[in-house]
Amino acid sequence: MNGKRPWWKTAIGIVLTAAMLFPVYWMINVSLTPATQMRKSPPAWFPVNATFEGYQAVLSQQLPFLATSLVVGLGTVVLTVALAAPAAYSLAKLRPRGRGALNFILLIAQMIPGIIMAMGFYAIYLNLGILNTIPGLILADSTIAVPFGVLIFTAFMSGIPNELMQAAKIDGAGSWRTFRSVVMPVSRNSIVTVSLFAFLWAWSDFIFASTLDSGGSSKPITLGIYAYIGNNNQEWNSIMATAVVASIPAAVLLVLAQRYVAAGVTAGAVKD
Amino acid sequence: MAVTQAAGTRSVRGTGGAARSASPGRGSRPRRRRSGQWAAWAFLAPVVIYMVAFYAYPLYRNLELSLKDYTVRAFVEGNAPFVWFDNYVKVFQNPTFGPALLHTALFTVISIVFQFGLGMALAVFFFQNFRLSATLRALFLVPWLLPLIVSASTWSWMLNSESGVVNSVLEAFGVGQVNWLTSPQWALTSVIIANIWIGIPFNLVILYSGLQNISGDIYEAAALDGANGWQKFWRVTFPLLRPVSAITILLGLVYTLKVFDIIWIMTRGGPANSSTTFATWSYQLGFGSVLPDFSPAAAVGNLLIILALIFGLIYIRTQRKQDLT
Amino acid sequence: MITRVRKGRLIGAAVVTAAVVASLAGCSSSGGSGGDSSSSGGSYTFWDPYPQFDASSDWAKLIDQCGSDAGVTIKRTGYDTTDLTNKALLAGQQHNSPDLLLVDNPVVSTLADAGILTTTEESKLDTTGIQKNIINAGIVDGKTYGVPIGANTLALYYNKAVLSAAGVDVASITDWDSLTAALAKVKAAGKKGITFSAIGTEEGSFQFLPWFWGSGADLMKLDSSKAVSALALWTDWVQKGYAPNSVINNTQTTSWQEFATGDFAFGENGTWQLGNVKKAGIDYGILNIPGASGPNAPVPTGGEFMTIPVQKDTARYATSAKIAKCLTSTANFVKTDNTLSYIAPTEAAQKQQVEQNPELGPWVKAVAAAKGRTSDNLGTKYPKISQQLWGAVQNALSGTKSPEDALKEAQTAAAAALK
Repeated sequence: MNGKRPWWKTAIGIVLTAAMLFPVYWMINVSLTPATQMRKSPPAWFPVNATFEGYQAVLSQQLPFLATSLVVGLGTVVLTVALAAPAAYSLAKLRPRGRGALNFILLIAQMIPGIIMAMGFYAIYLNLGILNTIPGLILADSTIAVPFGVLIFTAFMSGIPNELMQAAKIDGAGSWRTFRSVVMPVSRNSIVTVSLFAFLWAWSDFIFASTLDSGGSSKPITLGIYAYIGNNNQEWNSIMATAVVASIPAAVLLVLAQRYVAAGVTAGAVKD
Repeated sequence: MAVTQAAGTRSVRGTGGAARSASPGRGSRPRRRRSGQWAAWAFLAPVVIYMVAFYAYPLYRNLELSLKDYTVRAFVEGNAPFVWFDNYVKVFQNPTFGPALLHTALFTVISIVFQFGLGMALAVFFFQNFRLSATLRALFLVPWLLPLIVSASTWSWMLNSESGVVNSVLEAFGVGQVNWLTSPQWALTSVIIANIWIGIPFNLVILYSGLQNISGDIYEAAALDGANGWQKFWRVTFPLLRPVSAITILLGLVYTLKVFDIIWIMTRGGPANSSTTFATWSYQLGFGSVLPDFSPAAAVGNLLIILALIFGLIYIRTQRKQDLT
Repeated sequence: MITRVRKGRLIGAAVVTAAVVASLAGCSSSGGSGGDSSSSGGSYTFWDPYPQFDASSDWAKLIDQCGSDAGVTIKRTGYDTTDLTNKALLAGQQHNSPDLLLVDNPVVSTLADAGILTTTEESKLDTTGIQKNIINAGIVDGKTYGVPIGANTLALYYNKAVLSAAGVDVASITDWDSLTAALAKVKAAGKKGITFSAIGTEEGSFQFLPWFWGSGADLMKLDSSKAVSALALWTDWVQKGYAPNSVINNTQTTSWQEFATGDFAFGENGTWQLGNVKKAGIDYGILNIPGASGPNAPVPTGGEFMTIPVQKDTARYATSAKIAKCLTSTANFVKTDNTLSYIAPTEAAQKQQVEQNPELGPWVKAVAAAKGRTSDNLGTKYPKISQQLWGAVQNALSGTKSPEDALKEAQTAAAAALK
């Protein structure tokens, strides 16, 4: 599609990505290093006598938790977008009175330490009877992403040209239809951005999971890791291996999502 | 799905162009405004209900904790005496206060500058759409997939004084052992480096989608005017990216102020409080020892909220100014 | 006309909104049955800090067995140990405490102070035969709040190969001076001396206490000259390179990994590493930590206490006590403590353990000389003192302050915190 695609940019890109991912490589290296060599000085750059103990443990114990994490992540995405996008549309384009105050509250809301949120939820959840349930965890995880989603959507939606809305209005569309058939399609980039972060936050959340969901059988993977963090001893092979195994499905999802966005962008770039 | 959505966008754009000439002045004004307000609040209603349901109580709780004197017994029984601002006064008088404030400022400002700068540079770089750019950009997000306990532990692994890979590389170049995590001179730098690493993907993704929202036409016009790459960035990209940049920086600020797990896992705020920020201090007070001290912990937490409030006010000010112009 | 259309849309929007909210509410209420209720019929809840044991582990099976012996089913949850304190307080606040709670021993006084634990008098837990120095950690103001499930403590693991290469005879190490001399020899032979954990958490205090107590110092007086001599010993080791700089940030696991490389002569670590030291293939020996001027410094006890949290329905205590009694019978002490690599808290069970595994001999001796961190009626004073203590250790080892200044500052801060 694009005429020139210089290879040297790809080369630079690969070098930058490699630098960025070095700690990830190191994590994989540690996951394969036998315990007796973990703190060897100087360290080995490659796992020479690789041990697969960690992976054996993870694959036999952690896979169900991975599924829970996926469900929680996707649920959080849906809930976040459903709540945040309409609100942002209103804040950006319908200019309700008091939006300054609301923006402000959204900002402060994100400053409440997660542990305080979790402790507050504990009482509420206990009374509602939704401790240790997946919907409960989705609700809790969404609180990290919803204020973020509203703010990001607002920033992006305020960039949508007003003529576009005017046009829809002339066509007889009300606010809801304008939102659904004009604003949402145009906002695809920001939807993907918000979804991405909602997913990632839910995926890596520990505090909510540990306070609100640790008693259930459907634990997310971040709690699964604690199977290797005993009260006196930590099994780093297995901890790192869990992180590696857990990041694979999510990474695949990410690459696919990026592909989809990239495809969407080129499709959109075709001139009217 | 991608294609149909894009097609929908295009058709709307088409009608938009045609409708621009038509006059929109139908219906009486005041009535319109009021119903506009109704619609606006109808869209906001779910989030408002949600915020009240989920944030009001924790926020109230945090305030209450900081204004009462909670011992563990009072925490369980709920009968702590009201002490006004005693906890705050204690926090101000604590010798940790000064250093923690300084470290919070350094940690936040340096992290944001580098996260944003590097994120922007990478976003512009990856926007050029070369071979593999989409895949490589996706890979940049991988650090976010790792639970923080793992990524922070990996950093402390790499920065270990004796067996860390960073020191082994430095020693190969003839630099002596640097005690990254165990000396007061380096601890803060080390956690900042790790935090920048974790923050880059966030900035990259948001700024990248900001770039995507800038219409290609504008660049073409700029190119016709003979602007070079650098000029295009400063005169076109940067100004058009301002709303997105502003929110990215603001959110970055809020999130960086809050960071405690990275620091906690890497240094526990030490040695000698040399990497203690308000966030780690609050955690240390509340959960760092066997005997939780909730009230001062909440007071420190609320100081952080006030800091964020100040930045929020600045943001809204500048937003207003932009709205007016 | 247009306004009417718009109103229609508006109603549509409101309906969708309501539907979203309702579906959320629906989700939550339908999931409600899974919540943990501690009062449902013959089901008893049990929390422990062993997330490493899943449902198929010996530990979990033992609990199930004790439950069915008592005629109930037990719902067990393993929490991360630091998380458990917080969770227990929160649950206590909401009157949702588990029926049985296994917690790390220094936490007992905190939870007792919070009023969420029953005394053994109320719950009829049996404490006969438990060694006094071990149960002391669970005694606050003369009342006992639980039964130790087992004890662990610290000693010095040593690497025989490294020591013999350096020409050190272990038998010659009887006090600090001879230990330091041994470390110097090891270093001269090109190997590494000793590794321990001086991290800025409770773990750091736990590891420093044998040296602190071994000097004859008292926790109520952190800046005594004896205390300074203990901190000066560690600082000296780090400065001379007998101990690596990384100890300042070492957890006990990290410190163990350093010892497991086989480069170190000594590693200060706990009973729980016995299994791992064999796996690492190190020809090892155990040396009880020496005092300043004599063998066997008092070491702190680690290990968990079985407690019965306060319930609204006090009739539940009887069954809970039955379950606890089952878990703390001599046979089960042996079974549990072998699984955990702990030392049993009763002489009878200890004897059986040593019969089965003679390597535990030195550890039984160490436990006999150990004392609880919260004992001496320190109770909830201990956490406040300990926090200052680990801070002082960090300050001195990182070179920020001299041992004297660091401890003087710690004493001032601790005294202020205790007021």
